[in-house]
Amino acid sequence: MVSPSLSTTRRGALGLSAAAMIGATLRAANAAPDGELRIGVHVSLAPTWFDPAETPGIITPFLLMYAMHDAMMKAMPGDPVTPCLTESWTMARDGLSYAFTLRKGVLFHNGDALTAEDVKFSLERYRGAASKTLKERVAGVDIHDPHRLTIRLNEPWPDFLTFYAAASGAGWIVPRKYLQQVGDDGFKKAPIGAGPYKFVSFTPGVELVCEAFESYWRKAPVIKRLVFKVIPDEATRLAALQRGEIDIAYSIRGELADELVRTPGLTIKSAVGSAPFWLYFPEQWDPQSPWHDPRVRLAASLALDLKTMDQALTLGNSRLTGSIFPENFEFYWQPPAPVYDPGRARKLLAEAGRARGFDAGDYYCDTSYANIGEVVLNNLREVGIQVKLRPLERAAFFKAYSEKKLKNIVQGASGAFGNCATRAEAFVVKGGTYVYGNYPDIDALFAEQAAEMDRAKREAILHRLQQLVHEKSIYAPIWQLAFISGVGPKVGQSGFGLIRGFPYTAPYEDLTLKGKA
Amino acid sequence: MKQYIVRRVGYSLLSLFLLSLTIFLFVRVTGDPVSLLVEPGASPDDIETMRRQLGLDQPLWVQYGHFVASFVTGDLGLSFYYRTPVLELYFQRLPNSLLLAGVAMALSLLIGIPSGILAAVRVDGFWDSAGKIFSLLGLSLPQFWVGLVLILFFSVYLGWLPSSGSGSVAHLLMPAFTLGWYFAAAHMRLTRSSMLDVLGSEYIKLARLKGLPEALVIGKHALKNALIPVITLAGINLVVMINVAVVVETVFAWPGIGRLLYEGITFRDFPVVQGVVVIGGAMIVLVNLMVDILYALIDPRIRLES
Repeated sequence: MVSPSLSTTRRGALGLSAAAMIGATLRAANAAPDGELRIGVHVSLAPTWFDPAETPGIITPFLLMYAMHDAMMKAMPGDPVTPCLTESWTMARDGLSYAFTLRKGVLFHNGDALTAEDVKFSLERYRGAASKTLKERVAGVDIHDPHRLTIRLNEPWPDFLTFYAAASGAGWIVPRKYLQQVGDDGFKKAPIGAGPYKFVSFTPGVELVCEAFESYWRKAPVIKRLVFKVIPDEATRLAALQRGEIDIAYSIRGELADELVRTPGLTIKSAVGSAPFWLYFPEQWDPQSPWHDPRVRLAASLALDLKTMDQALTLGNSRLTGSIFPENFEFYWQPPAPVYDPGRARKLLAEAGRARGFDAGDYYCDTSYANIGEVVLNNLREVGIQVKLRPLERAAFFKAYSEKKLKNIVQGASGAFGNCATRAEAFVVKGGTYVYGNYPDIDALFAEQAAEMDRAKREAILHRLQQLVHEKSIYAPIWQLAFISGVGPKVGQSGFGLIRGFPYTAPYEDLTLKGKA
Repeated sequence: MKQYIVRRVGYSLLSLFLLSLTIFLFVRVTGDPVSLLVEPGASPDDIETMRRQLGLDQPLWVQYGHFVASFVTGDLGLSFYYRTPVLELYFQRLPNSLLLAGVAMALSLLIGIPSGILAAVRVDGFWDSAGKIFSLLGLSLPQFWVGLVLILFFSVYLGWLPSSGSGSVAHLLMPAFTLGWYFAAAHMRLTRSSMLDVLGSEYIKLARLKGLPEALVIGKHALKNALIPVITLAGINLVVMINVAVVVETVFAWPGIGRLLYEGITFRDFPVVQGVVVIGGAMIVLVNLMVDILYALIDPRIRLES
């Protein structure tokens, strides 16, 4: 039996706790953003990145776009296509149009309400990556009222949302009226968006300062000011973090990452981006080449001691997926985990008539990642495959790779946006930019999925396609590279790794400083 | 004299033309910038669109024609990376580079000239050896290494100076010293050899024979003449410091023209590289032209010989 006094006390305590919780919640809800977070950025910030219309096909501009702008839908924690400025969308049965309902009450930083006119304007104005593809396939935009619109297509296009939401900046919305007032150049000098942080100042080559936009629809940011400080040298960036001049340092690699781990108060954070690395055997279609035999290609794959390499080069943070497709991409199929088995590799080579190993010629790679090549070379030598490292300067490497001029072994990588279909188109299917030969069964599957509007059926086809890539050992996958950064003692929630495949800190409105959350 | 000046101006314009042509062709030999501006695996459409937007789909001679025509009107084109006019980028960075170069030059002269004089006066003595070691280190230690050691010592261990950036005197000290040391060593060596030449000349011997105090011989009679080549070199070095302090500005995140050039090279930003090199070249050509004209004004033999 519970005594009345105890019961009263308990009720009282519960009541007090509830009141305290409500009070804390209200305080948190009403608390003004406070404090400053300084982020040491590894690249120079370009004003072109302030304008979503000019989004190139690289991930870097998104580190600013997640702060200053917002999209119809974008990758967020737990969901790669999260409705943001749009509440919902529906595809027409014939696949020829998509109807969107916009979120109400969304404001731009200048106080203007975001409407369907802005969405139409942003799509029509878009001229960045994939703009040609979008413009060729989008027939027009119909506005029904300020919060409802329909995007019409010329023909059914299963990848429309991939391109609109992920592979371009067309779905990132800019204010039409303001842009028409100030023009493109004026917009880059004083950008206005609908994101959680508003632009304050930009000093080229030095820093970008942003301030919390308290009317952000999702929630008001906790941190008052974000300062993106440009520090191109990696060692200097680490020194600035150690000294407390910055709170987050992007891209700290190799020995400097070891130093970071050893520094008290600093923590290492890694985020795996959408950039898998692999070995490609461009001569596998030549019957005279040792690589023509799938057993030899599999042997090369089994010879790779990926776990040791991962530990040595990225402190165990890269993802060993066994695939050339990013695991965060739509329609991803997870192959069996990669295995390191030099004994089996030698056996396979013997079965293929290469018991004494063979001279495999040159190993081409981008100089920036020659350190990976050095480890792979040693692994291959251990099973008898002799190769010579031929690092090429980045632009020269990708030019030669795309012009089909490389031979023997190519160490490739890609961080291009899209989904597994777009990735297959570039790297697996006949006619692809980096495809040196093809397999008819894979090509047939690709053509079949391109015409399939049923998502489940399309997924099944693309899974089968990836399975064939794996079974034929067209590639020897290495890893999905980790982007390693350092975080200082002041930071609470750093945001690294919250969004799958996104290497930077985001969403910015979720970041906190210790003791200020 | 008029003919001499016209001929010198002609040579200068020819030099600038050759420089612009060389840099225009040279940057294009290094490869295709589009492959650095899109992700590997980007669609051929995107690559082509980007190439068209940057004007790289045009034949080389058309691109060069545009470059020269724009340059003549004071337009250096639009940066591929920043999508901002190169001239605007250049003038945004110029004050920082002038500041860094000015302080580094002052440091280099303050260190280089006295130590060079001391080394020449005490030739083969302790100060000469110390000066040689100083100049050897200054010229041979890589600037990035010196910069990083300074950052580790003064920023990380002692915590006295900010590791990077700009905006205060404290930010300026380490990059100015790193940049200045290299040039101090060069100025020290030139001052020493120039002083040794002058100190061995007849008029110095006469001054000493007349019993003038040594300080007066060195400070008034020898130094004036010995400094002429040093000042000439310092003028050229100042232009170099302003435009190509690439390593120092990168290590210390100093927002100057050197870093702009580094970024231009890294991203194959042709307009930026062309612009910075041509402006830097124009400065050197202009300085040389002015020196030539001044020499001719001062020394009639030069204009008569030419």
